[in-house]
Formats: sequence, structure tokens, C-alpha cells
Amino acid sequence: MSMAEVCCDSAVVVGAEAEARARARAGRRRRAGVEGAGRWNATATAAGVAAEEAATRKRRASGGEAGLVVVAKRHGAASVAGRRREMEDAVSLREAFAAPANGEVAAARCDFYGVFDGHGCSHVADACRERMHELVAEEMGAGSPAAAAREPASWTETMERSFARMDAEVIAGCRAESGSCRCEGQKCDHVGSTAVVAVVEESRVVVANCGDSRAVLCRGGAPVQLSSDHKPDRPDELERIEAAGGRVIFWEGARVLGVLAMSRSIGDAYLKPYVTAVPEVTVTGRSDFDECLILASDGLWDVVSNEAACEVAQSCLRRGRQRWCAEAAAVLTKLALARRSSDNISVVVVDLRRGNAL
Amino acid sequence: MVGLVGGGGWRVGDDAAGGGGGGAVAAGAAAAAEAEHMRRLHSHAPGEHQCSSALVKHIKAPVHLVWSLVRSFDQPQRYKPFVSRCVVRGGDLEIGSVREVNVKTGLPATTSTERLELLDDDEHILSVKFVGGDHRLRNYSSIVTVHPESIDGRPGTLVIESFVVDVPDGNTKDETCYFVEAVIKCNLTSLAEVSERLAVQSPTSPLEQ
Repeated sequence: MSMAEVCCDSAVVVGAEAEARARARAGRRRRAGVEGAGRWNATATAAGVAAEEAATRKRRASGGEAGLVVVAKRHGAASVAGRRREMEDAVSLREAFAAPANGEVAAARCDFYGVFDGHGCSHVADACRERMHELVAEEMGAGSPAAAAREPASWTETMERSFARMDAEVIAGCRAESGSCRCEGQKCDHVGSTAVVAVVEESRVVVANCGDSRAVLCRGGAPVQLSSDHKPDRPDELERIEAAGGRVIFWEGARVLGVLAMSRSIGDAYLKPYVTAVPEVTVTGRSDFDECLILASDGLWDVVSNEAACEVAQSCLRRGRQRWCAEAAAVLTKLALARRSSDNISVVVVDLRRGNAL
Repeated sequence: MVGLVGGGGWRVGDDAAGGGGGGAVAAGAAAAAEAEHMRRLHSHAPGEHQCSSALVKHIKAPVHLVWSLVRSFDQPQRYKPFVSRCVVRGGDLEIGSVREVNVKTGLPATTSTERLELLDDDEHILSVKFVGGDHRLRNYSSIVTVHPESIDGRPGTLVIESFVVDVPDGNTKDETCYFVEAVIKCNLTSLAEVSERLAVQSPTSPLEQ
């Protein structure tokens, strides 16, 4: 099946077989008593749209600033459990998440996007969805210059502090309460999540990554990978783990101690110091050729290449619909399902075209 | 809390004084006791393509509490951090009972089928054999024993867990042992945390030990 087919008629991807599987899955889930309120957690959300419209109205009302706001104004996301019983992915879409302080110009506005792929339970990924953008906003504001004026090194520090605080919160939080999730308090040390986070500024894209989720920029139809997967057999990661006294064993793929198939994560207290929450950060200047940014969990990347993902996104863009990002996210998710991804699948697509601002 | 860091304290006789403070003589006596338990209760006969090992854990909780967790073949999730769900086939719990264990995500397994080989409430011995599941541990057999001991003058428990398992294609004996030991260390660390929490919540009289 070609990319064009995928894009032009998503029913081709879904098909009778996939629908039958979906029904069987839904049946299994009902029988298993899992409260699966919606297998699809499509997040071109009404709330998000409402917030965006409110923000637009606000800018119009205040007058004079509209010309300065050129950050992406459209995004879409899809997040599905797929063939898994548990849903442990979470996505976070926060436009204008770091409100400019009084007196600062609106050019400092930037948007936050995140994909978090949990393991062991869902609560660490859920905590990242609820808190990570707040921590990044706090760390951005901590006595430093306006976001747009930041040096890349300053961004690295900001992200490292944010991730460290997120990690400390989930580890402390687990011990304090055995909350609403499936697992019990004493086992929370064995739960974690990846985190790939993007802050989209007017002229740059900042990506911080920890784990094996991934950020890919589509530029002129070709992919530019903005994060590097943290797999235990990546030579520098292997060296770091062994220097800390740990081992990487190939046991259904490379795993730390033979157990965890990623070398960095939020949480997973039981694997510290081998598995760390320190992110790798990239700061990339935006260009006139940029189409979109794709953040996704390995449920997508295990079965869809960076190139194929960009082709799908570009095809959706060319159809010319206003909400093409949401379409691209949905089509990519369906493609991963059709290719029998065995994992939860979460995809966030952010419009990065110049001049698409109002 | 992380019991996985470092390497000391897990092997039989490594730190036989448990909570420490016993001095060399007491440590020697404890080590001798461990060695005796090992000889009597944990003798595996690994084949050429198998590996075998034993780990010890000293827990600051009375033996009846620790044993109550270890012996619950139908509820390993009470302390094992990687188990999400467990169902015993047929319902009744007896020698030969089989449990279907669901494993949490992110691990190199999702299910395991395990048979109860031995449950001795007098000697405090539990033996389990893996008979199926989508993991790479073929012919895995484990023995867990718990023994009363004194830690800093208070009732404590010595737990010994030993295993034998086939070395799968593509791995060495050393790697296989290292992986299994890593999982057992997680289980025993969690067993200690759960037991010690229970001990604080429900202090018992010395008579109950």
C-alpha cells in the first residue's frame, strides 16, 4: 500500500480485518472489565481548540501584537492502546504554556508538546502529562532571560532541571500515596516513563528527550530527527551504564540488567543509577521549509520509518484541509496499527509552516 | 532503598551478620547457619546447559510475617513488583496447583505459567516450577526458604532463594544468572519492604514467632 493510498483513503488502512480486530479487542476489554472509555483518545480536543480560539481573541482584543505571533497555531494528536490491554501512553498539548510575565512582549510566547510512554503502570506517564509543562515553565522563568533570548546551553540546563524535578516528584509521589492507578504503593519504584518534550518558539524548536520515544522534524518532505533514542546498546549509553556498575544483557533485545529496554527514563527508581532521567536536548532553528514536527512513542517508530512518517504528513498537508495535523496524527496511528504494532501508539503533529499564523 | 546497586550482601555468607553489629564470631555462626540451610534445602543439580545460583536477604520482620507473604502462591503480587495479576487454575491451592501470572509491561515477558511443587509450612519451604509462558526461562525451578534469625537483638528473618534454569540460545551462563538474579533481587527487596511495613503496622508478641 502506498503512502498516497494511506492518506487519501484512510479506510484502506483500517479495512474490514482491522475493524474486526477492533471489535474483538473491544469485546475482550469489556469482558476483562477494563474501563476503556474510548479506545481512541483523539486529542484535536475541543478544549484545546477552545483555548486556542480564546488566545486568538485575546491577542486581537489587545491589538498591535498579532503580527508578532507566528508560532504554530495548529496541532493534532492521536493516542491509542492498540493491541495492548493497558493504555500507558500519555500526550500533553499546551499552547502558550509559559505565559509572558507582565511587560514582556508576546513574542516570548511558546508552545509545549510532550509524548510519554509509560511502563509498569500508567501513573508516571500520567504525572508527566499533568506536570511536565508546569515544571518547564517554572524553570524557564527562574531568573533567566526571556525564552527567545536563551542560549542553547541555557535551554539544556532548563530541561535538565525540569526532568530532574519531574523524576523526583514521581518517585516521592509514589511513596506518599497509592493512588488511583492499578499498582500499589510499594511497587512504584518499578514504574517509569519515557519523555519526549518539545518547546516550539517563534524561531526555534527545543527538544528534550529521555527514553525511546522520538521527535522528527519534517523539512521539505524529508525527516530531520531531533532526538536520539536511549537504547541500552547505544555505545555511549552502554559505556555509561557499565561505568556505573550495571550491565546490558541481550534478553529479547538489549536491556539494562536484562530487564528494561531503554537506558533513560522518568521514574524506575530501582534501576538508578544505571537508568537516568537526564535528557538530551537539541535546539534547532526553524526554516521556511519546515512543515511539521512529529512526536511519537515507539509504537509508531517500531513500524514506521522517519521518512515514511514525513511522507504521510506531507500528503495530509497537500490535501489542504485546515486540520491536517490532526489528520496526519490519525493516519500515522492507523498505519502503525495496520502494520501490527504491538504497543500503545501516540502521535503528536505540530504545524511549523511559516505564515500560517492569523 | 535500591538493593541492586553494588553487589555485596546477596550471596550466601556475604554479610551473614544481617543488620550488622554481631562481630566476627556471630557473623561466622550466621554464615555457618546459612551454609547449613543451603546444603540441606537448596541443593540443585544443574545440567551442562543450565545455570544455578542462590541469593539471601535479611529482613527486619518476624518470620511468620515474611512466610505469610512467601507462601501465598495464589497472590505473588502481594510483594513481587513485576506481577500485575495472578489466577490459580481450578481455585484450590494444593501441591500441583498451577498459576497463570500476568507480568507488567516493559519486561521481557507478559505471561508465565507456574506449578506449585512444594509448600511446607513447618520447614517454611516453597518450591515453584515454570511450566509455560512467553518468556525465555525454560525448566526454571526455584526454592524459597525462610528462617528465623536475630537482627540487632530483634526478631528477623533470613530468606534464601535459589534457582536452576536452562541457558537459552544466544546467552551465556553468566548472563542468564545475572538476569535471573536481578529479578530475584527486585523481588526480595520488595519482600523486605512489604514485610517491614507490615511489621511496623502490626507489632506482634514474641510468643507468636
